[in-house]
Amino acid sequence: MSGPPAGAATTATGPGRVLVAVYGVLAVAATFRSAVQILRDLDDAPLAYLLSGVAALVYLVATVALARGTGTWRPVAWVAVSLEAVGVLAVGTLSVAAPALFADATVWSGYGSGYGYVPLVLPFLGLAWLRRTGRGRTPTGPTPQR
Amino acid sequence: MWTPLAAVVALLGVGLAGWAGWRAATDRPVILKQLLAGGVVEAVLLVELVVAAVSSLRGDGPADAATFWGYAATTLFVLPVAAAWAFAERSRWSSVVLVVAALTVSFLQLRMVQVWTGV
Repeated sequence: MSGPPAGAATTATGPGRVLVAVYGVLAVAATFRSAVQILRDLDDAPLAYLLSGVAALVYLVATVALARGTGTWRPVAWVAVSLEAVGVLAVGTLSVAAPALFADATVWSGYGSGYGYVPLVLPFLGLAWLRRTGRGRTPTGPTPQR
Repeated sequence: MWTPLAAVVALLGVGLAGWAGWRAATDRPVILKQLLAGGVVEAVLLVELVVAAVSSLRGDGPADAATFWGYAATTLFVLPVAAAWAFAERSRWSSVVLVVAALTVSFLQLRMVQVWTGV
């Protein structure tokens, strides 16, 4: 994922570059954490750990889709980022309302409180960015190169 | 033995983040000097991990080995990948990417110490 993508990558430039970087960090953190959990302690908290795995997968897809940012990657990014928004809100609410369901924390528990609420804020920034870069598709769209 | 090096890396990370943050605030992109600074952080990090590995082999290892070495591997990759990603962008946003990456490295040092001691 290093190096510049060829051609105009609408969601991957300007502020989008920061978005992709934060997504990448979260994707690696979530993937690694869930891998350890699932491989080692799955029996302790199956629901929480499988959810962590799903969350990690969604973050990975979102990172790649936003880094590509054009063509069919855009709808993929929309779906992945929307899933995250739903996931963090649903799991966050569940973890507060029915903590017994989760024997251990996931990325989305407590609305992402274990990760500085980044998982709560990120999908909405992502959706806003997708919306903004999708509008018009003219060079005057999001932040021009400075 | 390796924890002082972790502290050095964490401080260097915060310093690099501050430098990049300043350039972002003044609307300037990442420059080569910052990549060299990142290289210095990587070098100290590498020494740190070697010291930690030697300590582990001598029997004084992390409380949670899988998590510790996972963090260790991640820390090594964060700056190079982020630097390549940032450097392709010649705007202030590349500086913001470097801020994110450098702070991530610093934060991971803290987590590594926690995982090692088992707190």
